[in-house]
Amino acid sequence: MTVRVLVADDARFMRQLIRDIIEPEGFEVVGEAADGRAAVEEFSRLQPDIVTMDIVMPKRSGIDAVKEILALDPTAKVAMVSALGQEALVTEALAAGAVDYIVKPFKPDSVISTLRKIAEKAP
Amino acid sequence: MDLAKYRNLFLEEATEHLAEIGQALLTLEKDPRDGAALDLVFRMMHSMKGMGASLGYDAVSELAHRLEDRLGAWRKGGGIDDGQGVAMLFRGLESLERMVAAVRDTGEPPPPDAVLLALLGDPESPKKALRLS
Repeated sequence: MTVRVLVADDARFMRQLIRDIIEPEGFEVVGEAADGRAAVEEFSRLQPDIVTMDIVMPKRSGIDAVKEILALDPTAKVAMVSALGQEALVTEALAAGAVDYIVKPFKPDSVISTLRKIAEKAP
Repeated sequence: MDLAKYRNLFLEEATEHLAEIGQALLTLEKDPRDGAALDLVFRMMHSMKGMGASLGYDAVSELAHRLEDRLGAWRKGGGIDDGQGVAMLFRGLESLERMVAAVRDTGEPPPPDAVLLALLGDPESPKKALRLS
């Protein structure tokens, strides 16, 4: 079964990069969001299997968006997208309920294996 | 990775980011405690860092990273507490603009701004950056 993914990142470059890494591996990017508020709205509308969530975004941070998504659906699976120097924020996001994280700059194999692992987790 | 495709995406998005940073710095020049402008510059630097690192443009990612760190400290402190800090950000903007232009002109990773990187590692750096600008 195809895994449906929502990609939330304020940079078009990063959204495209994630799409190009995961779509050839059988994931389907069903939507994109350029800020935290849109991420929550698109999650509600699309009900994806996985959300990839950048931490630093306008309107609502990735961490606040995770909290709102989990309030809407406690079984939601959100993978944080982090960068060098964001270890404390990743820890905060995991404590808030994110299931895992991927690190920029992306290593495609690592992104794929992380998302596959998340997809296989029971809700 | 299709390098040409991502180089073009970088040039397009980086150019937009640098224009937004320029506008926000004009706001910060008038009010160094403007939280919205500070947030915007922080986010744009974060994005420049990520794009630069993804393409192996270490000069871009390292400079943006150091500026992001400095901006992060100012955000936590409620604003730019040193009047010369804005001058350093303008200096960083000029340097990033030169790097993006170099990518556009040559298609190659740009050279680093060793002087500014050294200044950003120095607690007295805003004053020195002002003297250099």
